[in-house]
Amino acid sequence: MRARTLLLAVLVLAGCASTPKPVDPPRLKAALEAESDGAKRHGRGDHAAAARRFDEAARIFASIDDTPGAARNRRHLARAELAQGRAEAALLALDLAERGSGFGVTLGATLDTLLLKAQAQLALGRNADAQQSLAVAAGLCASTCPQAASLHLLQAHAALAGKRALEALTHAEAALKLLQDKDEAAETGNAWRLIAAARLANGDATAALPAAHAALDIDRRLALPEKIGRDWLLIGDIQKRVMRSGIHSDGAGETAANAYRRALDVAKAAGLADIAEIATQALAEVSGGKQAVH
Amino acid sequence: MSLLTQHDSDTDALRRGTRRFLLFAALVTLALLAAIVVRQGLFRQTTNYSFVANSAQDIVKGQAVKIAGFRVGSVSAVSLKDDGQVVVTMEIDADHMRFVTYDARVELRKDGLVGSATLEIVPGPDKTRLAAAEARLAFSRADGLAALANQVRDEFIPILKDIKLITGVLADPQKGLPGTLAQVRESSEALKVLLANGNSQVTGIGKAATQVLGKAEQDLSHLGQTLETANKRLPGLIDRTQQTLEHVEKITAEAEISVPPVLRDGSAVAADVREIVSGAKQAWPIRNLVDAPAPATLKADSDPRGEASRAR
Repeated sequence: MRARTLLLAVLVLAGCASTPKPVDPPRLKAALEAESDGAKRHGRGDHAAAARRFDEAARIFASIDDTPGAARNRRHLARAELAQGRAEAALLALDLAERGSGFGVTLGATLDTLLLKAQAQLALGRNADAQQSLAVAAGLCASTCPQAASLHLLQAHAALAGKRALEALTHAEAALKLLQDKDEAAETGNAWRLIAAARLANGDATAALPAAHAALDIDRRLALPEKIGRDWLLIGDIQKRVMRSGIHSDGAGETAANAYRRALDVAKAAGLADIAEIATQALAEVSGGKQAVH
Repeated sequence: MSLLTQHDSDTDALRRGTRRFLLFAALVTLALLAAIVVRQGLFRQTTNYSFVANSAQDIVKGQAVKIAGFRVGSVSAVSLKDDGQVVVTMEIDADHMRFVTYDARVELRKDGLVGSATLEIVPGPDKTRLAAAEARLAFSRADGLAALANQVRDEFIPILKDIKLITGVLADPQKGLPGTLAQVRESSEALKVLLANGNSQVTGIGKAATQVLGKAEQDLSHLGQTLETANKRLPGLIDRTQQTLEHVEKITAEAEISVPPVLRDGSAVAADVREIVSGAKQAWPIRNLVDAPAPATLKADSDPRGEASRAR
């Protein structure tokens, strides 16, 4: 008993005597906490709140002349804005990130900025600008850089937007290969979706269907309503193509209509007006087309 | 023999004791007498002053005499002279003679309007010359209740006289109120005649004006028709607008009541929680266990809204 008490006393004394951890200055700590909080919110899908926290963190970092911190948070902010469909705001944040970076900016940061910029430009339909950004990024990411998979996916996206289905398929498959055995579920889902879309654009609807279902499985697992809704729209599109091609078309019309209905249900439940509108139109087309086929 | 000797010695002792006791008692009695005499001021040096008053009212023998509120002596005698005046003699301690100037005045004052009366020696402005012993000082009475009543009476009598005069003038049938009213009545009748003349002149002007108004009425009837049409359409529109406004108002009112407290509460709770957590984080030894957050890395997502999927 006495030995235990002695040991405890020694431990307490050792604890008191130990060198205290260096404490971060309060403003730096506040900035890091805002960034961390923003990241948590972004992970939970609360992108609006995440954007606010990243913006706050960027301002605090800027106020203490921590340019890498400010630039990093502006990139985070751009991601949050893109997730909300606010591509213009994302571009603005990225411009600020580029302007504030100055010297000593890392290759990874530059690549991140370029890829996010390309993503925003594609969302705004500025394909030429996106191609340019991606070309610069590709020049910087000659070997296998960490962002290679994302680069391929964006190249696939750009190619698809430029009606270059084969090129899109090549890039999407290359991305999928790079993403194997990596903990990048969202990007893997994106890769499958792009493969499905590229195959469909290439006229291979039968091959596109399993890819679209693979994307849906991943997006369901990640519980991302917008992507699930778009996956169902894609499945509907594929089924519609199957129905029109006449190969294995038995019940394809009904399956397409079901897929669009699922997309509509998801969109309505999640309050996604644009997807709901597309699904409603597609459903009307399928119903009309089915009547024409019959 | 021895018995007689013993008796003599006892008797002597008793006598001695008795003498001692009597001596002690006499000394105590003398001391008491001396104390009484001193207390009564028999050995005190005093000076007499006097004053003459019209009446001995409120003045009695033994009455306190004060200077600046301190008792300095008393009235030693009050006597009536042959001419009906009253001579009052005061005995003042010699120590306080220095306050009694030659122009000092004795005032009979009362505590309040009905309190007990005291004599107050009020020193004069010239402090360089003191009053001589046996000097006769001036005397006055402070205004008591009777004096005050007399003053009020003196003020009121002229006012009452004036009121009497004014009411007399007003009651005069020629120059007073009745005469004035008769004049006003005459004036109003003259005014009535004047107005009747004016009316007849205005009627002439009115005929011309009626024609102009007739035309105006026609124009207004056209305007009335237009307004009637508008009136038929407006109520429905106004009703609908009213309903919409009421609805909006209701929603706004409900929101006004429910939203701010919720926001405030939520904000306060969040702030409290944040404060508690940050406080706990900074406290030893928790701060050694909690690391400061590292720069965040977000998961890559090249198509966060799945927009790249539709190739149609």
